[in-house]
Amino acid sequence: MTWLRVLVLASLPLLVQAEQPLGRAILEKRCVGCHSAQLKKSGLDLSRRDLAIRGGDRGPAIVPGNSKASLLLKVAKHDVEPHMPFQAVKLSEAELEAIAKWIDQDALYERPIEASAAPEPAASKHWAFVVPKRPAIPVVKNADWVRNPIDAFLAAEHAKRNLVPQPETDKRTLLRRAYVDLIGVPPLPAEINRFLADGSPNAYETAVDRLLADPRYGERWARHWMDVWRYSDWYGWRKGNDVRNSHRFMWRWRDWIVESLNRDKGYDDMVVDMLAADEISPKDPNSLPATGFLARNYSKYDRDGWLQDAVDHTALGLLGLTVKCARCHDHKYDPISQAEYYKFRSFFEPYEVRVDRVKGEVDTDKDGLTRIYDAALDRPTYLLIRGDIQNPDKENVLTPAVPLSLGAPLGKIESVSLPIESYYPDHRSFVHADLIAQAKSDIERAEAELGKKREAYTAVERELESVNLKAGYEKLRGASDQLALAQKALAAAKEYLPALEARIAADQAKYAVPPDLGYEALADAAKKAERKAGILKADENVLRAQLEFTEALRAEKPDEKKITEAQKRLSAAQKALTQEAEYSSIGKVYLNKSTGRRTALAQWIASAGNPLTARVAINHMWLRHFGKPLVSTVFDFGLNGKAPSHPELLDWLATEFVKSGWSMKAIHRLMVTSSAYRMRSTAGEANHPSAAIDPENKYLWRMNPRRMEAEVVRDSILYLAGRMDSAMGGPEIDETKGLESRRRSIYFRHSPDTQMEFLKMFDAPNPAECYTRNESVVPQQALALANSRIGQEQARVLAKSIGLESAPAAFVKAAFETVLGRLPSTEEQSIGERFLVRQPELLASLKVSAPTGERARESFVHVLLNHNDFVTIR
Amino acid sequence: MKTYPASHPILRRNFLADLGMGFTGLSLGAMLSGDGVVRAATAGWQPPDGKPHFPAKAKRVIWLFMIGGVSHVETFDPKPALTKYGGYSLADTPYKDYQENPLVKKNLREVIAGLHKIHPSLYPLQVGFKKHGQSGIEVSDWWPNVAECIDDIAVVRSMWTTDNNHGAQMQFHSGRHVLEGQFPTIGSWVHYGLSSMNENLPQFVVLGEPVDTCCGGVASHGAAYLGPEHGGVQLEVRAENSLPYSTPTAGVSKEEQKSEFDLLSEFSRVSTVEYPDDAAMRARIKSYELAFRMQTAVPEVMRFSDENEATRRLYGLDHDTTRPFGEMCLAARRLAESGVHFVQVFHGQNGGAGRWDAHSNLKKGHSELCQQVDRPIAGLLKDLKQRGLFDDTIVVFATEFGRTPGAQGSNGRDHHPFGFSVWLAGGGIKGGVAHGATDEIGFHAVEDRHYVTDIHATVLHQLGLDPRKLEVPGRKRLDIDFGQPIREIIA
Repeated sequence: MTWLRVLVLASLPLLVQAEQPLGRAILEKRCVGCHSAQLKKSGLDLSRRDLAIRGGDRGPAIVPGNSKASLLLKVAKHDVEPHMPFQAVKLSEAELEAIAKWIDQDALYERPIEASAAPEPAASKHWAFVVPKRPAIPVVKNADWVRNPIDAFLAAEHAKRNLVPQPETDKRTLLRRAYVDLIGVPPLPAEINRFLADGSPNAYETAVDRLLADPRYGERWARHWMDVWRYSDWYGWRKGNDVRNSHRFMWRWRDWIVESLNRDKGYDDMVVDMLAADEISPKDPNSLPATGFLARNYSKYDRDGWLQDAVDHTALGLLGLTVKCARCHDHKYDPISQAEYYKFRSFFEPYEVRVDRVKGEVDTDKDGLTRIYDAALDRPTYLLIRGDIQNPDKENVLTPAVPLSLGAPLGKIESVSLPIESYYPDHRSFVHADLIAQAKSDIERAEAELGKKREAYTAVERELESVNLKAGYEKLRGASDQLALAQKALAAAKEYLPALEARIAADQAKYAVPPDLGYEALADAAKKAERKAGILKADENVLRAQLEFTEALRAEKPDEKKITEAQKRLSAAQKALTQEAEYSSIGKVYLNKSTGRRTALAQWIASAGNPLTARVAINHMWLRHFGKPLVSTVFDFGLNGKAPSHPELLDWLATEFVKSGWSMKAIHRLMVTSSAYRMRSTAGEANHPSAAIDPENKYLWRMNPRRMEAEVVRDSILYLAGRMDSAMGGPEIDETKGLESRRRSIYFRHSPDTQMEFLKMFDAPNPAECYTRNESVVPQQALALANSRIGQEQARVLAKSIGLESAPAAFVKAAFETVLGRLPSTEEQSIGERFLVRQPELLASLKVSAPTGERARESFVHVLLNHNDFVTIR
Repeated sequence: MKTYPASHPILRRNFLADLGMGFTGLSLGAMLSGDGVVRAATAGWQPPDGKPHFPAKAKRVIWLFMIGGVSHVETFDPKPALTKYGGYSLADTPYKDYQENPLVKKNLREVIAGLHKIHPSLYPLQVGFKKHGQSGIEVSDWWPNVAECIDDIAVVRSMWTTDNNHGAQMQFHSGRHVLEGQFPTIGSWVHYGLSSMNENLPQFVVLGEPVDTCCGGVASHGAAYLGPEHGGVQLEVRAENSLPYSTPTAGVSKEEQKSEFDLLSEFSRVSTVEYPDDAAMRARIKSYELAFRMQTAVPEVMRFSDENEATRRLYGLDHDTTRPFGEMCLAARRLAESGVHFVQVFHGQNGGAGRWDAHSNLKKGHSELCQQVDRPIAGLLKDLKQRGLFDDTIVVFATEFGRTPGAQGSNGRDHHPFGFSVWLAGGGIKGGVAHGATDEIGFHAVEDRHYVTDIHATVLHQLGLDPRKLEVPGRKRLDIDFGQPIREIIA
């Protein structure tokens, strides 16, 4: 018996002692972790030869001398289920061959595999926790098919399984696929014809480049990333304008995503900005909205839940890690301890959300820039026992750290000194200018008000000249009170302006570099001016409160609550009259330091040394181009997740992504110009041989047909009808206006409480969590397309643009080309023509008032909008 | 586009021979039932013909699922020993070897060994039990109304499952551990196996908010590889807009709408020939046809105006506590009565693991939840009886697992897959039966143990379906996926 010597086979990734049979060595490393004397998974113990032969619940594992009959090899080769090793990387071809040979040579053990020799825990070498290495591009037989390395990796798997990739699809289908995929709307007939007319060999690549340069690309892909990054407009008590979750003006974050994608900002830079723009670009109003990613987790009443969301979704979305499981106990699958969960949380512990003023609007309820900032530098993080916020382990303050098992080290956390524009945002000159303008307009308004009150008083006086009643005097007193109040208000407003200017002047001296020696005098002047204005304002308020109070008392049924409130306001106003204080700053002054924790975290995540980040992002992009992800558990790359269908392809793309400077456009281009992407999506026949081998199309021998996402359905109807309003950006639009407004769907309010009904029907993303969209087929979708106003109206518009007068034959052809992006088959053509001829008769019999020929054409277009090929991306 | 104009003469000929004229004749969707087009040529395999394989005892199923894990020992499986030894550590009781029982390992599919903690400190029963009916089966005092029906019910006290987390919710419907992915659920098998009893209504309806994404989500009423057309259709219990967009825009008459649907149907027929392998397209074609008919049929079912006061009270519609679930039970009856094969009703969705997940405050939580469903469920059983529907309607009351005999924290119970209870009634199921048993403390199912698929097998058996005959080529199922009908509870 000649045993293979392990060391001879240097290519095997095994670190075992020499002088033992190779098959046994592989078992020791890959199988006995679970199939040991102790664990005996499925009743199987592979630690001894006799036990392996006896086997487990499924029967003998090894038939010595007959590898083909050995169950062990079948499950390891994934010929039969359950595929082994369970939830782990498949054995390599070399390993499988070695085991087969070993079994054929009688499966000799030499000695039992001892428990102590069991492999290190699977976790530490779990594929996703090891930084991807750039694999060699396989050399394949089907070289003609290979346009770029994506194809090479796929072709290698095809060859292994005797799969033959489907031929390239026709040009119209391909163009429609690329359009919908890259810009979210199908091509118009003119665009199709331009493409068909371009005879150059690079016609398709040219089209792809044009689409990637189209600003609609940013809108299309922003929506994808908004799914992953949990975009939500604010929600809470909408009637009370009470923000309870997410925050106002999230749209600035959405617009930042759109613009960043269009500029092809690196994915790494985007991640860094989203987590820490307030520390990295604290002065940059164009970067700060990125922190909407974290601001979005705001929860008015639940700080703990807020931080949980920040932790959980940063990990799920950017790292594909379900760290959330470790909130209450050590993670059950992944090597993440409960303490590590809270250490991860401490990156976020200091942060809060605020709204800074934007130019032109002083009221931050109306407009503003929502952003995050560190509000406390030393807020402690504790482990919460069983995840219970009532039960923190106060013995130990946890410091920020990343899970050790991920390998990549965290950089040094260095606190950041913030510029004044950041820690005192109202010190910016545009805020001063806006406030002064506001104060001036307040004076004007007070003057106008006074004028009105004066007129009103005169009118009452005049009225009283002719009548003399007690009620008349009441009225006169009322008018006189109002007049007095208006006078006081004007006086206060007039005094407020110089006080404001004095405060600004003092502030400017205070924060001047080098220090302004005049500061003290200016501060004193500001104090006096503010006091003077304050007295006038208080005076106004005292009168206002007094009037309220008397009115409340005089009411037929005095409202106790109103009276106490008025009283309170009165005493507050009176107190203000006597207060002596320093001049007040123009707005809130925040801490002039930030912990730097999130910067360290962001740089750790957005680094080539992080084993997960690039892979997770690539997987999301792949899913949205090819219809199925490489790792089907897109948010879980841990031990409980699924192994990638093409591990080497994933790693190659991940390294390529990093190499390209994290350019998403580069990856899009690579994916959509591959031969794989251009394949036909249909097997074309019921019994296609590849379909028998790989019915799920796991190995991508054909393209996957997909259904348009909700937004694409709506946008495409509008776009084809020539009715889409192409304006970009801006505040969210009322979600109930979805069928009237013609803006793109991305711009409508979208939160857990408020979503456009039409979009919901087509599996609109759940704003709380949507790492992958559902693609349901339910009758409600048919009803939404058939019965909604948008379908009917746009069908009418489309029919008109195609030509209500045109002959049936021409109309059918043009309608197919416009709505479905393809020509009708002969059969479809004749079905269509028949309809256009017969339908007017039906309409006439129904006594429809509209011209029947036109109405039939509208119906025809409406039917095409309901056609399966409309919502399908072939 | 037209890449296969003539390459599939057989398919085409079948179509031309078989097809009716859209809605005027037999619809295209009906022709496509059971995947006939795609699979017809697979040698020796026939798609289901929609008829039972053997004489059926039941025609329809109402499947009530409590999300989160109902405590078996506080509902249908009394264990006085828990009260006797309450507060004792398991090791100090006669049951100390229970945690070493090989069933612990055998039951659980553990990804990492030793994770599943057993709470050793026994927790006393939080509610009393009384014998009810002629059968004298003990039911907890939280179920006064269902207890009245106990002589019509077969309680199965010896259930077990393998998933110790709430993936068990999906597992209870598909039979497969959450780690193994998505598989067809029981409702989808029924949908796949039986032809429609009412062409105007979906045959598999889901009421109530379904399982959360944490625990299987819509896959818990999905059809996986059977294709989306066999998945459950979610309906809301309200007459107006139980389906959104269910009325045509103003000025479009029924006849005109129908003419559009007919044209669409003709185009669909062409597409079906062109894309014989596109399951989503087939599903969409069917959903269009169904949608057209559902526009009028669904609001009629969901409008309760023809129900009298007595019926409303029976389901608890007169009380705020019982009304929400009562309306679902009443809707379920109306759907079943109108010829829907499978109605899956969820209770307890809370945007997470489910309201029944009593890790703490079990007494308060369970007593309130039982109150919400007790009267509606009893009302459903009584109403089915008085309408003569009980004999061919199976009602299943289920949950994903039970709760630990040991205390979790001070006043809760943890997940417990080793033994738990469900019950069935009607549709040829024996009444007044308590089948199987857990041990003295409700830890392990020890007598007549049943995995969750045994419930599927029992239901399918009563419907006259043999799951082995429903198997799809290329989709090998294991013995455990089929389960075994529970003969002892079949009348």
